[in-house]
Amino acid sequence: MRRGLVDRRIRLLLAVLVVAFAATLGRAVWLQAVRAEPLARLAKSQHYETVAIPGRRGAIYDRSGVQLALGEQATTVYANPREIVDPRAAARAIEQTLGRSAASVLPRLRDRSRAFVYVARQADPTRASALARREIAGLGFYAEERRLYPQRSTAAHALGFAGTDNRGIAGIEWSLDRLLAGRPGSQTFVKEPGGRSIEVVSTTPEREGRDVYLTLDHNLQANAEAVLRETVTKWRARAASAIVLDPRTGAILALAVAPGFDANRFGARPPDRTRNRAVTDNYEPGSTFKLITVVAALSERIVSPATAFVLPYSMQVADRVIRESHPRATERMTVAEIVAKSSNIGTITLAQKLGKERVSKWIERFGFGRRTGIDFPGESPGLVLPPQRWSGSTIGNVPIGQGIAVTPVQMAAAYAAVANDGVWVQPHLVERVGGGARTRPKKRRIVSSAVARTVVAMLQGVVDRDGGTGTAAAVAGYHVAGKTGTAAKPERGGYSDTRYVASFVGLEPATDPRLVILDAGDEPRTATPVGEVAAPAFQQIARFGLQYLEIPPDAPVRRGQ
Amino acid sequence: MIAVNYAATRAPDSRARAAAGAGVLGLLRRLDWILLAALAAVVAYGLWAISGITRYAIPGDSDYFVLRQAVFVTAGVAGLVGALLVDPALYRRYKRPIYLGTTGLMLLVILVAGATRGSRRWIDVGFFQFQPSEFGKLFFVLALAGFLADRGKRVTDSRTVFEAVGLGFVPILLVFVQPDFGTALVYAAALAAVLFVACARWLHLAVLAAVAVVGAAAILWFLPAAGIQVLKPYQADRLTAFADPGRDPGGTTYNVNQSITAVGAGGLRGRGVDGATQTNLAYLPEHATDFAFASLAEQRGFAGVGILLCLYLLVLWRGIRIVSVARDAFCAIVAGAIVFALLFQIFVNVGMTMGIAPITGIPLPFVSVGGSSMISNLLAMGVLQAIHARGRGNARRS
Repeated sequence: MRRGLVDRRIRLLLAVLVVAFAATLGRAVWLQAVRAEPLARLAKSQHYETVAIPGRRGAIYDRSGVQLALGEQATTVYANPREIVDPRAAARAIEQTLGRSAASVLPRLRDRSRAFVYVARQADPTRASALARREIAGLGFYAEERRLYPQRSTAAHALGFAGTDNRGIAGIEWSLDRLLAGRPGSQTFVKEPGGRSIEVVSTTPEREGRDVYLTLDHNLQANAEAVLRETVTKWRARAASAIVLDPRTGAILALAVAPGFDANRFGARPPDRTRNRAVTDNYEPGSTFKLITVVAALSERIVSPATAFVLPYSMQVADRVIRESHPRATERMTVAEIVAKSSNIGTITLAQKLGKERVSKWIERFGFGRRTGIDFPGESPGLVLPPQRWSGSTIGNVPIGQGIAVTPVQMAAAYAAVANDGVWVQPHLVERVGGGARTRPKKRRIVSSAVARTVVAMLQGVVDRDGGTGTAAAVAGYHVAGKTGTAAKPERGGYSDTRYVASFVGLEPATDPRLVILDAGDEPRTATPVGEVAAPAFQQIARFGLQYLEIPPDAPVRRGQ
Repeated sequence: MIAVNYAATRAPDSRARAAAGAGVLGLLRRLDWILLAALAAVVAYGLWAISGITRYAIPGDSDYFVLRQAVFVTAGVAGLVGALLVDPALYRRYKRPIYLGTTGLMLLVILVAGATRGSRRWIDVGFFQFQPSEFGKLFFVLALAGFLADRGKRVTDSRTVFEAVGLGFVPILLVFVQPDFGTALVYAAALAAVLFVACARWLHLAVLAAVAVVGAAAILWFLPAAGIQVLKPYQADRLTAFADPGRDPGGTTYNVNQSITAVGAGGLRGRGVDGATQTNLAYLPEHATDFAFASLAEQRGFAGVGILLCLYLLVLWRGIRIVSVARDAFCAIVAGAIVFALLFQIFVNVGMTMGIAPITGIPLPFVSVGGSSMISNLLAMGVLQAIHARGRGNARRS
């Protein structure tokens, strides 16, 4: 063996060393310099996990603190079908514990193309934990909040609905979603290779949603709904709505729509059923709208309450002939009598004296044609023609509530302004949010105090006076002021003979109005509408309201009556 | 170039005998101090690395592993000094008892393991688990080197090569069935190194390499296809996993992927002991033993890795240098095999943690937690120093 041979082999060994060293160092540079960032991200992503902590959704209360909507703890059950060993057994267990039929769950559990399927969303927590105790591989659970409406149908239209993901999708739940929903927090924790969390690294606290207090009173609300339900059934009407308003504050004490529905089953009801007609729907008001012309004529000092007119049964306005609703002879009527008897001819006579510009101005002044700004989504502005688009006959129908569309809320607010000594107050549903300040509604004086009082007295005549159109609205022990309204529904080319909206707006006690109540029945099946449909409903709602709120009587019952 | 024919010498020559007789002081003077310093640095660096890697391994006892490791280092240094005092010629004289003793010990491990019906690579000796295959590496090299050195020029005969392979094959097989595939590979590498430094013919080496390649292919692919499992399935999967890291990241390639992630996450400066989540959360498996390098890379970054690799380079370079100053063929073969086995272990381990070598379960020399590995490696370094101290250059100087 030659020395040189060994030396060569030693040099070869050195070369191997150098190559190995270079390869290792090169690889280290590649991993630690070039690929360092993505690999560090990879490490981080597998070590840390962030989960969202839902913020409790705020509850909704009525003015007396009764819960109308609240969150309830629920458990959502999901499955990873790929991890389920025996789908049939799992489905059976689900049926036994959760009560969902095995047949309905099985196809989802068998679908191995997916790694996540819902088994039951927002299931009962005790039942879900019974399922969890069976320790079936592939089933997972997480806590979720379920929206619950304990009063069921009461105020359902006003509340709206929060969907399965606990976000508001209609009504107050939708419009105040940002306040109610709060902000979810998050928690980042370190997890072991097995997935178990071992240490919480950071926590962003969740912010609970804020509670909302409504102006509604659940008793007044429930009563109004019951009255409407009866009315709808009795007269086989399509629908009915009612608003109970405190004229002094604009607070809506009841906002009822019939037919109602269980708020917990919002999703299962057609939109037609869940729509809050009192705010979102227009109707032709008919005679209740005469108030505007009367107030205008008095305010513009064209007439006084005692000013008398000789009024025929019918009159020609441009190309149209206007008649009273009931035949009568030519009669001499004061302004007060025009209101009490709801004279079309008298109202149009006043309107003609005012002229279309002034009539339009007062319509606008009362807030018709634009939204009241009530804190409820989807309010309709109504439909009011500007004076420049009036035809010759418009002055013959708008003052009597035809050819114009308003919402029940606009109309209630207009009467509330008169009841509130001439100050219009923005109607509102939200009393306060959390511990915050009460809602301060917009106010504006639209009628002088004197005219407002005069008009209230005239409206009192509608109910009190013999021959008044609203005598059925009288409540024993109280002076009631109000106005009836019947409007035939527009059809192609004219007005329907059979389809109309019967409404009544009233304020009581008339001497110091505390409640303004509007109720309207849509398409009642009756020949003699108003007195039979709207006024009695008003009377029931009003009587309950006055007693419930313990409003002292202003008209002591006369002996023997 | 001076042709020196030292392979024929059957016994230490007089000059070497004189050197050996110069006593301990003389030996100390003739040590490779650079190697010793590099070695000390590697061991100290390894202890420092382990102190970081295992800081959170046992809650409330952050120094447990590093203290244990220090005890092993102490034992290893004692072994190193002991090996230094022994004249390598002695190993050559007693090569048969050494060979038989080593093989017998390995057989014993298998028998004990068989009796306890478990797979065991070690024998429990109280304080630590004595792993004969780690020590066997050194004795295996000594015995084989003695055998080949005795054959002298006949090393070029295919018969000699055949016999050497036959001799080597028995312990390799015994280690392999423990099962300790990684160490068996190290044995095979040492066998190759022995033949290589003994100047076996290239033809023979090439044939052996071809046989090894065909054998590996057979073990990994052909025999399993024919229904014969030589390797356990996990071993085969690990071996081939590094070539295809995207395969089954939660299972087969989990280790190598986590290891690469740890190395990369370390970046240039490292994530520090506290920030090393791959290590501390045990995403990186075996981070104190087989994957210690990845853990070090995560904690200390490229800076820490670079220092360790450079220290290794220094040790290996000095080791190779000793091969060239060995006084006879036996010493040269021993030194060459020791250095090559060390080189093989280091780069296969480091390569494995970075995904460029198969995962075989070889500890990282002087770093991985484990007594047998540390002590046997230091022992081998002692033999290396003994060869250096009695080497040609030193003998001339004395």
